[in-house]
Amino acid sequence: MQRRTFLSMAAGAFALAAVPASVRAEDFRKSKPTVWTAHTVEDAMKAMYGTTATVAEGVTVVAPDVASNGGAVPVDVKSDIDAKTVAIFQNVNPESAVIVYDLNEYSVIDFSLKMKMKGSGTITAVVEGKDGKLYSGSKTLDVALGGCEG
Amino acid sequence: MKIKAKLKKGVVEVKAMAKHEMMTYDIAEKKTGSRDNANFITHIDAKVGDKTVLDASTSQFLSKNPIFKFKFKADGFKKGDELVMTWVDLKGNTKTSKSKLK
Repeated sequence: MQRRTFLSMAAGAFALAAVPASVRAEDFRKSKPTVWTAHTVEDAMKAMYGTTATVAEGVTVVAPDVASNGGAVPVDVKSDIDAKTVAIFQNVNPESAVIVYDLNEYSVIDFSLKMKMKGSGTITAVVEGKDGKLYSGSKTLDVALGGCEG
Repeated sequence: MKIKAKLKKGVVEVKAMAKHEMMTYDIAEKKTGSRDNANFITHIDAKVGDKTVLDASTSQFLSKNPIFKFKFKADGFKKGDELVMTWVDLKGNTKTSKSKLK
């Protein structure tokens, strides 16, 4: 390769790396479509991160032990880890990915939402640390009335 | 979207409720006979000025009329600043709502 070509390629690569995280705001539905069609938590994680290896600490998932309405299961996810993304998966619905938060310089990892669960199972939250490691927490619960069918 | 944003001790707590059927593929098939009628929010973001404070890609598995509760650091933000939230759904519909930080 010509030296000039190599240098301009390197400069281009550096410019990309210098884009601040707050400008990035990634729509993972577009950039990682297979995350959303994956049936198992493992497949969704491989599509999202390229690995399923996590450290099971630093992430708190709060959900009721028994959810009376599977159509609206309240879930809280909290963590103090300095992170890039937070994803929530579960292992009972037709696909496992529920939501992926792309974090920014203002983010505090303390998210609450209500989700559908087809039946009893486990909710797993994965926090992608800026240190390159994946951290996870989970909550297994019973669902009295399954929520994917209305 | 109903939005409540409270700035307290350097952190803004937001509770937002979007009005959306969040119809899953299975429910669309069961109730309308076609999976093509499925529609649900796929992306939601929140900004204060030009700063993004929330960015989430979402699935059919959030509940109907989904609630989004989140927090962000109020660095450089103050009461009276406007929070603008926008969602987009599978069919390309979009809705933007605003609320001042209280």
